[in-house]
Amino acid sequence: MSGPHDIVVTGIGAVTPLGENFPDSWEALVAGRDAQAPLERFDTSGCRCHTAASCRLPALDDLPAKVVRRFSRASRLAIPAAREALAHAGLLDAARRSTLRELPVSVSTTAGGMSFGEDFARLVFAEKHAHLFDQVSRYLPQQQVLDLQQTLGFRGHSFIVANACASGANAIGHAAGLIATGAAECVLTGGFEAIAELVFVGFDCLQASTTGKCRPFDVNRSGLMIGEAAAFLVLESAAHAARRGAVPLCRLSGYGHSTDVFHLTQPKPDGSVLVEVMRTAARQAGITPRDLAYINAHGTATQVNDGVEAGAYTTFLGPALGPTRISSTKAAIGHTLGAAGSIEALFALAALRSGKLPPQINLQTPIPEIAPALVGAQESVENPRHVMSVNLGFGGSNAALVFSHAA
Amino acid sequence: MKLDLAIAGQGAVTPAGIGLDALREGKAVPVQIEASGRPGPTWPVLRVDLKAPAFARWHREPRLRRASPITFFLVEAAAQALSEATPQERAETGIIVAFSAGCLAYSRRFYEQIVKQGQRAASPALFPETVFNSPVSHVATVLGLNGAAYALVGDESAWVSALITASVWLKEGRVRQVLVLGAEEFDPLVLAAYRSARWLRRKGFLTSEGAAGVLLHAADAKSTTITDARDGYIYRTKKEAGEAAQALLATADPATPLLRTARHNWLAPLEEQLTRNRPAAPDVPYLGEAFLASAAWRTLQAVSLLGPGLPRLSLPVWGLNHQFGLLELAAAK
Repeated sequence: MSGPHDIVVTGIGAVTPLGENFPDSWEALVAGRDAQAPLERFDTSGCRCHTAASCRLPALDDLPAKVVRRFSRASRLAIPAAREALAHAGLLDAARRSTLRELPVSVSTTAGGMSFGEDFARLVFAEKHAHLFDQVSRYLPQQQVLDLQQTLGFRGHSFIVANACASGANAIGHAAGLIATGAAECVLTGGFEAIAELVFVGFDCLQASTTGKCRPFDVNRSGLMIGEAAAFLVLESAAHAARRGAVPLCRLSGYGHSTDVFHLTQPKPDGSVLVEVMRTAARQAGITPRDLAYINAHGTATQVNDGVEAGAYTTFLGPALGPTRISSTKAAIGHTLGAAGSIEALFALAALRSGKLPPQINLQTPIPEIAPALVGAQESVENPRHVMSVNLGFGGSNAALVFSHAA
Repeated sequence: MKLDLAIAGQGAVTPAGIGLDALREGKAVPVQIEASGRPGPTWPVLRVDLKAPAFARWHREPRLRRASPITFFLVEAAAQALSEATPQERAETGIIVAFSAGCLAYSRRFYEQIVKQGQRAASPALFPETVFNSPVSHVATVLGLNGAAYALVGDESAWVSALITASVWLKEGRVRQVLVLGAEEFDPLVLAAYRSARWLRRKGFLTSEGAAGVLLHAADAKSTTITDARDGYIYRTKKEAGEAAQALLATADPATPLLRTARHNWLAPLEEQLTRNRPAAPDVPYLGEAFLASAAWRTLQAVSLLGPGLPRLSLPVWGLNHQFGLLELAAAK
């Protein structure tokens, strides 16, 4: 099997509920802060849950106000995150546009500009016909990609995956595949998700959202916290990075993905599909589980997911459970759905680069089988060589990414 | 981009009937439907007959008891394409489905519950079926596909993206074969959207629904092949669309016949203008506009034209609100 062994990350960027850029988000994350707050963007009075992790939208001062007004909230999150990643990779010119005119983009989302679609539907339901086109023309996910392409000045192949909560990892994995097979040399990849009423109410009506604190891997966990974010990476072949003098942040060394057909919304109870996905990613990276310093877990804090996931880590890691540290950052930034795989990959990558680990916050009584592995406050590891990011989603989407030290 | 994908199986669900013969004949009769929430004018829509005998076995599947119409379109098209595959081959098959609106009917119903009856009335049975990749998961489960599964979204050009992804999977060795499908389902909300975009004013334009797909292997000499793909010709305005279309067509061999695919929509005059001096492939039946289902139908229609008299063909994939792409197809040798 060919693999992304010579694929490097040269830039990252993010907008999260903890910060308007990646460094601020990371600093708040490792400090153990969480972004849970009352959700005020729409009325939640008919819901059980009334809180979420929302982002503060970064200003887009360099763009005309009328252009910014037409962006969906998803685009308002995605554009600054992607721009930060391109700048970090040294791919922005003085006008803050991409220096690469042809730049494939591989992104994920589950809802796109859903709030525009909701506005459109509300107008149709109310038989109000004015301004319908403005709403409907900008809600589809490709419109956020077009916003990215036109604002940041690039064009080329675009890939938009909507594989529920594993989408972000799939987008990164596809970008790696394009490079590994020679179809591209440099790809902008990542995910974005803005909180939308339809989705928020959907998780609430499933009673999957918590009315209290989000406590992944806690015996008394009571559900997930909805979040929103955008996170992007610049992936390129090592040869392409070397040619332009870019310094790699790390390598993307492994990707595994598969479909768990056990149930539409629940993983197979023995976790075997997830175990195989992690093994595939580790095999491609040429490592064993004990080589992993840290795993950023999916850890939604729902009863079913975390129990199965904890069991899967026990099986996959074996004696390495404990030495390999684990945390779910959803306790801090919420479940960002289509962005989750990307932002959590960035957190794993930052742990690899810094040795600092995101703590498992809000933990009271850890699930016993995984307790020895959960990251405590202000924990760090020395000289980490490999980290993993794991995601599961509705429909049985499972994905794992391995990032390895650049040297 | 070189794809070199051999077509090993095909399946189609159309308003003209189920299967490739119905797709080739293309005899569909529209029904008149009101735009959502708008009493008054009605519009012609081509619907798939979900009571057709071909769907009976899928209605009996426990996993599909709550599934949306698009799932039924997909599972039938996928089953046709996989009809020659052994259970072991199915287990090593990846699946990629491209959508524009996806599970629109259930999404509209779910949100209408929220708006009209309140958030407390939202149905937990409906919500999971609104998610883009739910139909993909259902198809994988029912047909025993244990490989990777992706749901892609976009305008018609997502079909090209799906084929490129299949090529990547095969080159990486992640799967033995890949099933690539496109699908859309009708909901009256679509009419409201098309009406607001003024698409319904175009003479002959028909809203439609359905699915189609191809089973793909690494290329071999015995099969019809999708040899090349190009995409990424983006636009926002009509002026940009003209420039993008011109740039795209400049990449196609001018001697290779081109199948005109823009029919009764705002791109039709542009395609006519830009391709009038190129050799044209014979026209194929028009089955209405169903975004990704249409892109898939047109590919199957193009395949049906290939043979000794037409060994190669260019197939433009005109995305209606993002970008344009192009496929190059070659007949079996």
